[in-house]
Amino acid sequence: MNTTTTARRRTSRSRSLAAAAALALLVGACSVEDPEAPAGDGEGGGGVFSIAVGIDPDTFDPAGQTTTTVQNMVDYVVETLVTVDDEGTVGPRLAETFETSEDGLTVTLGLVEGAQFHDGTPFDAEAVKFNLERIIDPALTVPLGSPYEVIQSVTAVDESTVEITLTRPSPGFLSALSVTTAAMISPASVETGGNTNLNYQNPVGTGPYTFDSYTAGETVTVQKFADYWGEEPHYDTVNFRIVPEAATRESLLLAGQVDMIILPPVSDIEALQNNGDVEVLLAPSDRTIFIALDNNDPVLSNPQVRQALNYAVDKETIVDSVLFGAAEVMNAPMAPSLFGYCETGSYDYDPDRARQLLAEAGAEGATLDLLTPSGRYVQDAQAAEAIAGYLREVGLTVNVTTSDFPSFLARVNAPPSPETVDMHLLGWAPAYLDADFQMQMFRQATHPPAGLGTAFYTNPEVEAILAQADVEIDQDTREQLYCDASEIIWEDAPWIFLWTQSFPIVHSTDVEGIGSTPTEKFDAIYARPAS
Amino acid sequence: MKGTAAHIVRTLLLSLITLFGVSVLIFLMLRVLPGDPARVLAGLNASEEQVARLREQLGLDQSLLAQYWSFITGVVTGDLGESARTSRPVSSEIAVRLPATLILAVTATVIGSVVGITAGVIAAVRRNSLLDHAISSVAMMGVSMPVYWLGLLLILLFAVTLGWLPAAGSGEPLSIVLPAVTLAAFSTALVSRMTRASMLEVLGQDYIRTAEAKGAAPRTVIIKHALRNAFIPILTVISLQFGALLGGAVLTETVFGWPGIGRLLVDSIGARDFAVVQGIVLVYAAVFILLNVIVDVLYVVVDPRIRY
Repeated sequence: MNTTTTARRRTSRSRSLAAAAALALLVGACSVEDPEAPAGDGEGGGGVFSIAVGIDPDTFDPAGQTTTTVQNMVDYVVETLVTVDDEGTVGPRLAETFETSEDGLTVTLGLVEGAQFHDGTPFDAEAVKFNLERIIDPALTVPLGSPYEVIQSVTAVDESTVEITLTRPSPGFLSALSVTTAAMISPASVETGGNTNLNYQNPVGTGPYTFDSYTAGETVTVQKFADYWGEEPHYDTVNFRIVPEAATRESLLLAGQVDMIILPPVSDIEALQNNGDVEVLLAPSDRTIFIALDNNDPVLSNPQVRQALNYAVDKETIVDSVLFGAAEVMNAPMAPSLFGYCETGSYDYDPDRARQLLAEAGAEGATLDLLTPSGRYVQDAQAAEAIAGYLREVGLTVNVTTSDFPSFLARVNAPPSPETVDMHLLGWAPAYLDADFQMQMFRQATHPPAGLGTAFYTNPEVEAILAQADVEIDQDTREQLYCDASEIIWEDAPWIFLWTQSFPIVHSTDVEGIGSTPTEKFDAIYARPAS
Repeated sequence: MKGTAAHIVRTLLLSLITLFGVSVLIFLMLRVLPGDPARVLAGLNASEEQVARLREQLGLDQSLLAQYWSFITGVVTGDLGESARTSRPVSSEIAVRLPATLILAVTATVIGSVVGITAGVIAAVRRNSLLDHAISSVAMMGVSMPVYWLGLLLILLFAVTLGWLPAAGSGEPLSIVLPAVTLAAFSTALVSRMTRASMLEVLGQDYIRTAEAKGAAPRTVIIKHALRNAFIPILTVISLQFGALLGGAVLTETVFGWPGIGRLLVDSIGARDFAVVQGIVLVYAAVFILLNVIVDVLYVVVDPRIRY
C-alpha cells in the first residue's frame, strides 16, 4: 500500500482541509519575500514607534491608575501639573509656577499659557479645579488617591491661577501632583466619546499624543497631537504591544518587530548587554525590596536579633547571582531617588557578627517562617530562598512559603495575631518621590489593617520626628528630619534591608532619546531614530 | 433522526442543571480563595476607608446568599455584571476576547486533525516500518513537549532567526501560524496515536480481508472501509481535545501575546475580579455543553448505526 497514491485520492472533505493547510503554508512562504517591515522608520519625522509591555491596561482613567506600566501609556495622552526629577525635586509642567504659603495651607499654581485639550477645550484654572475636585469625589474609585484627601477646596482665581486650600500642611502634596492620578483630563470629555465620569475609557488630555484605540489584550495606539503646546515628538504613532511573556518581548525586540521593551527576562540581561543591536538601561527605581520582620514577635522584638538577620544575609552576592545585577543594595531605609534620602549605613555581610548578636540575644537556633510572593517582584521567591539559606548558615531554622499575591496580601495586611507570619518579603514603591511616602512604613498609624506597615514597627522618637516633618514647610529642615529618622530606623532594623530594584528597559540601537523616571516608568515620548 | 432531536432537547434541558451547578461551584470557590478583591483592586497604597468603600461598591459586604442571588438573577436576565477591574460589562469583556480563542482553537484542531489522522493512517498501514517508528517518535515528542518551551523555540526560529513570522500579537494574517502550530502539537500527536491504534484494530478484522479479497483498491479499503469504521474513537479524541484547547490555550496565549479569553481568565483570577471569572467559567461550561451536543450529532452522521 502506497501512501502517496492514497493522498492523491482524497475525499472532498479532506481535500478542503488539506487545501486550508496548504494555503497556510503558501501564505507562510510568501512572507519570506516580504519580511516584516522594521517597526520604526522615521525619516524627518513621522513613522511608528512600538513598545512591548507586559500588562493589559485595566483603565485609562488617570484617576483609576494602579500600575506604573498603564500610567506610562496614559502619560502620553494626559499631563500632570508638575513633574519630579531624579532627586525628588518638583519642576513645572502644566503649572509654570507653584508656591506653598508660609503656613503650608495654601498652594498657588500659575498655569502655562496656550495649552489646550485634544477636544479643543482650553486648559485653564476651571479645568484644574474640575480635575482636582474629581479625584477627591468619594463616588469615584481613586486607588492612589490618599495624598489628595488633604484638599479642602480649589479656587480658580483667574484664568491661569489656581489656589488650593489644604486641611493641614502636607509637604508631599506638590510632589503628589506629579502622579498620573492627578493628571488633567478635559472636563467636557467625561460626558462624550463613550465616557462617563465613573467609567472613563477614552482619555482626552493635553499631552503630545491623542488616545487612538485599544484592542483588549493586544495593543494601545496613540497618535501625535498637532496642536500640542510643548515640544513636538518625533513619531506620528506610538503602539504599545501587550505581551505578557518576558521572553516573547525579548524576541520581538531581537526580531526587530518592536523598537523597545520593558522587563526582559532578568537572566538574559547580561546577554542583551553584550548584544550590539540593543541597548540595556537598568533604571534605578524607587521600589525598595525588604524582609519585613514581625516586630511584635517574642524573638524578633529584640533589635539585636533584627540586626543579626541584617548582618547574616549577603545582599551583594544575591543581587549579582540571583537578580543578575538588576538591583542596588539599600544603604538607607528608602530609595536614593526620594526627597529626604541620605546615605544612612550598611549591614555588610558578617555571619560571625550575626552569630554573636544572636547568642547575646539568646536567639540561637530560633525557628522563623518566611513568606514570599512569587512573580510579583524581580526574582522574589528565588531571592527569598537564597536569604533563607544565609539565615540557616547562622544557625536559624527557616521555613519558606510562597503564595500568589492576593493571598499573600490577605496574610500580611491583617491585624497582629498569633498567625502573623514572622518574616515576609515585600516591595514598596512610593507613588510620589518623597520620604513622606516611604516613612508610612515605619509609623504606628499604618500598622495593618489600616496600612501596610507590616513590620508593626514603632519608635516614639521616630514618630515625633515624622510628626514634625509632616508640618515642616522649610524643605532643608524637612530633609534633615527624614535623615534623622532614617538613622534611628536603620539602627532599629525593623526590616532586613535588601535592595532597590532596577527597572530594565531595552531598546534597539536604531533609536535614541529613551530614558526613565525613578517611578518605574520609561521616558520615551521624545524617542527618535538614532543619528 | 426524530430520536436524535429528542435526545438533543433532553441534553440541553439537563444542561441547565449542569450550568446551575457550575454557577454555585465557581461562586463558592472564588469566595473560599484567600485575598480581598477590594484590597487587591484598591492597591497597596490605598487607605482602609477606601478599601471599605470599594468593598461596599462591589457588594462584597453583603451576605453570600444575597451576593449569589444578585449574580444568578443577573445571569438569568442576561446580565453578567461589571468587571471590578475595568468597570466594563463582563459580557462585552468576554465578547471581545472569546473570538480570538475560538479562532485559535479551531485552527489548532483543524491542524491537529488533518496532520494527526494522516500520520496515524500512514503509521497504521506501514506498521513497524521505519516511517511508523519515525511518526511514533515525533508524536511522543509532541505529547511530552511543554507548550511554553515549544512556543519559545518556534519564536526563536521563525521570528528571531529567520524573520518570517510575527513573534506575538494577532494583528497580522500570519500571526496565527505560530500559536496555532504550538497549540496543535499536543493534539496532533494524540490524534495520530489514536488513529494508529484504532486503524490497526479495524485493519485486522475479517471484512477488511474480504474487501481486499474482492479486489477493492487499497485506498478504497483504507479510507472507505477502515478509516470510516475507525473514526468514532478518533472523533471523540478530537472533540475532547477541542474542549481542552479552549480551556488550555492560556499558556499559548501568554507566550504569543494572543488576546484570548484564557489570559483574561488568569488575569481576572489574579485580580480577584469575581464577576469576570464567574462569567467566563459559565461561558466555558455552555460552550462545552454545546460541543457535546454537536459531537453527539456527528456520531450519527459518521456511524448511521448509532441511535439515541
